Amino acid sequence: MPLAFDWTQLAQQTVIGLSSGGTWALLALALVLIYRSTGVVNFAQGEMAMFSTFIAWSLVDHGLSYWTAFALTIAISFGGGFAVERVVIRPVERAPVLTVVIVTIGLFFVFNGAARWHWSTETRTLPNAFSTRPIHVAGVAFSIQDLGNIAVSLGMVLLLWLLFRFTKLGLALRAAAVNPGESRLVGIRVSWMLAIGWGLAAAMGGVAGMLAAPALASFDQTFMQPVLLYAFAGAVLGGLDSPLGAVVGSLLLGVFINLIGNYVGWVGNVLKLPVALAVILGVLLVRPEGIFGRPRVRKV
Amino acid sequence: MKRVYLGIAALGALVLATVASGAGTATPGVTSTQVVIGGTIPLSGPAAAYASVGRGAQAYFKYVNAHGGVNKRKIKYIYKDDAYDPAQTTDKTRELVQQDHVFAIFNSLGTETNLATRPYLNAVKVPQLFVASGATTWGKDYKKYRWTIGYQPNYRAEGTIYGRYVAKTNPKAKIGVLYQNDDYGKDLLKGLTNGLGSKAKLIVSKQSYEVTDDQVSSQIAKLKAKKAKTLMVFATPKFAIQSYVYAHKLGWRPKVFVNAVSSAANVMGIATLGTSKKQTEGSISIVFLKDPTDAHWKRDPGMKLYRSIMKRYKGGNPNDVYNVYGMSAAHTFVAALKKAGKSPTRDSIMRAATHLTVKNDPFLLPGITVQTTSSDHFPIDQARLERYHNGHWVVFGGLFRVR
Amino acid sequence: MRRVLGIGAGALVAVGAVALVAFIPRLVSDFHSFDLALVGVYFIAIVGLNLLTGYTGQISLGHGALMAIGGYTTAILVTHEHWRDVWTIPLAGLVAGVVGFVIGLPALRLSGLYLALATFGFAVALPSLLKKFSGLTGGTDGLSFFEKAPGQVTGISGTVTIFGHSMTQNHFFYYLTWAIGLVGFALVWLILRGRFGRAFRAIRDSEIAAVSTGVNLARNKTLAFAISGVYAGVAGSLFVILREIVTPLSFSFLLSITLLVGAVVGGLGSLPGMVLGALFIKYLPTVSTHLSTRPGAPDFVFGVAIILIMILLPTGAGGLIGRALKPLTTWLYTRP
Repeated sequence: MPLAFDWTQLAQQTVIGLSSGGTWALLALALVLIYRSTGVVNFAQGEMAMFSTFIAWSLVDHGLSYWTAFALTIAISFGGGFAVERVVIRPVERAPVLTVVIVTIGLFFVFNGAARWHWSTETRTLPNAFSTRPIHVAGVAFSIQDLGNIAVSLGMVLLLWLLFRFTKLGLALRAAAVNPGESRLVGIRVSWMLAIGWGLAAAMGGVAGMLAAPALASFDQTFMQPVLLYAFAGAVLGGLDSPLGAVVGSLLLGVFINLIGNYVGWVGNVLKLPVALAVILGVLLVRPEGIFGRPRVRKV
Repeated sequence: MKRVYLGIAALGALVLATVASGAGTATPGVTSTQVVIGGTIPLSGPAAAYASVGRGAQAYFKYVNAHGGVNKRKIKYIYKDDAYDPAQTTDKTRELVQQDHVFAIFNSLGTETNLATRPYLNAVKVPQLFVASGATTWGKDYKKYRWTIGYQPNYRAEGTIYGRYVAKTNPKAKIGVLYQNDDYGKDLLKGLTNGLGSKAKLIVSKQSYEVTDDQVSSQIAKLKAKKAKTLMVFATPKFAIQSYVYAHKLGWRPKVFVNAVSSAANVMGIATLGTSKKQTEGSISIVFLKDPTDAHWKRDPGMKLYRSIMKRYKGGNPNDVYNVYGMSAAHTFVAALKKAGKSPTRDSIMRAATHLTVKNDPFLLPGITVQTTSSDHFPIDQARLERYHNGHWVVFGGLFRVR
Repeated sequence: MRRVLGIGAGALVAVGAVALVAFIPRLVSDFHSFDLALVGVYFIAIVGLNLLTGYTGQISLGHGALMAIGGYTTAILVTHEHWRDVWTIPLAGLVAGVVGFVIGLPALRLSGLYLALATFGFAVALPSLLKKFSGLTGGTDGLSFFEKAPGQVTGISGTVTIFGHSMTQNHFFYYLTWAIGLVGFALVWLILRGRFGRAFRAIRDSEIAAVSTGVNLARNKTLAFAISGVYAGVAGSLFVILREIVTPLSFSFLLSITLLVGAVVGGLGSLPGMVLGALFIKYLPTVSTHLSTRPGAPDFVFGVAIILIMILLPTGAGGLIGRALKPLTTWLYTRP
């Protein structure tokens, strides 16, 4: 007896994929932001986001209201990112890319170790920013949380676009990233711009962590590590220099991984990540700058 | 030139002497004043929530030492971090055996981690005592690995309990299973299938996940789509919590059986917080330890002892049940060490551990006897069923054999 | 005269290195020989990685996976085909070299950070693939030599006898890895002195300039990937032989990251620095554990050390050695 294709399940798994992608999108945005403003990929972005999440938890634990803690964490994260750039990245600002990558790897270990030093390793939870009450539409369930995460990510893309396009600060940030030498000639304080870029990315990472923790139902010192992997994959797919690409890439990745894991038998759960990464590699071979990325022109 | 040769020779002799003295005694790790044991515990990495197993045991050993030790020997317990990574486990275990010269490996945590070191330890004849994992193989394969013994009720037996319970109380159930894709998860699943017997077809869907996954939302959705009404959660705490939360987000409220590893009070508390009281209400698990957050044990002398030890010897958070686990295992080791005689050897402790009878372990449920014989290599094979009600686990039914 | 002195100095250093390696086990405990054997394994891996990243500028965060390929080749040959463990090493290197070559092909299309991330993706994906093909790889349980082929493990009884000379298993491991390490080192040194070395250096300095001087970019870059793959495979094979067991978790993505750190801290472009790089990644975590037993402290210290070295010594230990010896090498190797 032939079974009718279960369209509802397909829709549900797609929605779940979008929800997964939504938990990675903000971190992917943070990665893109750092890449665009400093030309470097920050391997510690996830751990910094995790650290911010612990700070938020501590604030709530000390009695602050959730939203106060939320806002305060954003501010602290901005400050932290700014400070990290000034203290750790600045000395290697003009060093080759690989040196800076290794420094960010060092930061990965620093934040990872510091988080375990200061807080015990038990499982914790952070309050929800959005409601998780299920809403049913045509047999498919989702929640405000799923929509909220995606909305916040897209909202950030818009904010960034406005910042870069229409503000003096944004212009200075772009100039400092693209052409530091000439920017200095025009009076832009390049070092400060880089630090602000790091601060913004860290703040964004903080939001990413604070929204991912409830989306993943619990958190501890390791919770951002898988998220970082997926965020990288999503950002690369969308184009490392495109904020919109980061979000769209993450969402596409979430849906793709879910559907291929569920509908292609031999892939199953075990192979869904390798297959997804292979597909991304395929995309890169055809379009090395990612879906929304800008092609690099190499001047001789 | 000659002085250089003399110097090198002297240095060499010194080193040789040091090395020789370290390995010199008849039984490694045993002197007239102390016994040195070691183990690997995940202090970092994905399983770091279990780190308190080591702390609880350490606190108990300090307590025993303060009361004269065992046969006038103090117990020195060294535990090292393996981050739940079998490659690190093999390195650290080798270190414990060859550098720290431990008498035995005690209560190392994890299934894959201990599987990785079992062949080595058995080859070099170092006791692998009271492995902190419920894998069935520790007790089942003792003929092949006679230096290894487990501790807690094994996973296959646990799954069998759930299977038998469902077959008896809900013979028309539709069961969905979420399981970790490794020996631990597969053991529980095998037990469930065994316990269901002829009713194994009640399982409508099995979904696995990898330890490295970040979420199991897709698996939960699939289980719901297959119209399961009973959900078996054979997963570690992070994913067990997710099971409740994602089911809630789908508007699905199945009857949940959650494996003992993830039934700790704080895990259930987080799951309830993230969903609703109704979502976790009625969940079923098995239990063999006394739960430190259960008011039922407030006046219990065993738990009073537990709390006083935790306080006196700085064990950490007394509400963390994994401390109780560690302390219980330590208590069992002390019993085995006593039985191993005035001059314990690796052979004698192995004999003691496999011919042990300990009644009235203060940290285990009343009535549970820690027992091993030449044909029964499962130290604890009794447990009770418990049901989650109003935010607390409540035991029901009798004590039964988990075999 | 100076030229003779120069060659003589080089030969003396080479002999001295061999002698040092041969002598060390007598100075340290048996267990430390095992530790140093592990250092040797890392050394071999990062010598290969150095060739790839330091000389052709291709960043790889996937060398842990190439080690895994070599390691699993060895494990499969030992447990399924009952080969002697040590005889599998060349084949393990070869297989990993082929995989390295295969990776090198798409790598041509990717630049800098994208390549780093693509290789990182490979390192992340490989454990899942290893779990899937469980018939061959043993799945999540992996393959254990003790269990499946104890007869093929060299030194399982505790001692190894070669040419009538008896030694402990740990000492054997030490000599095995460092003998291979020294030979591998010499090979890379020879390669770099020759035509390929010049081509590699040209590519690192400027790909466009190199192409314009006739260097075949594709051939040289994939060749570098293949060679570094062989080294990683051999290192992986030894890694597994030392432990006598392999599981999908044996080669985590953290290993890939650690190898790159080791290569950079050792000093890209500097072969002698690689010894220090290997010592760094093996011993710093251990040393940190002695400084503080508080959780997280070893990682924190490791991270701080990496950052400080990058800030203060960006050319790594090798760069420092190079600078310190510069007056001497200039005097020895330049015509007056």
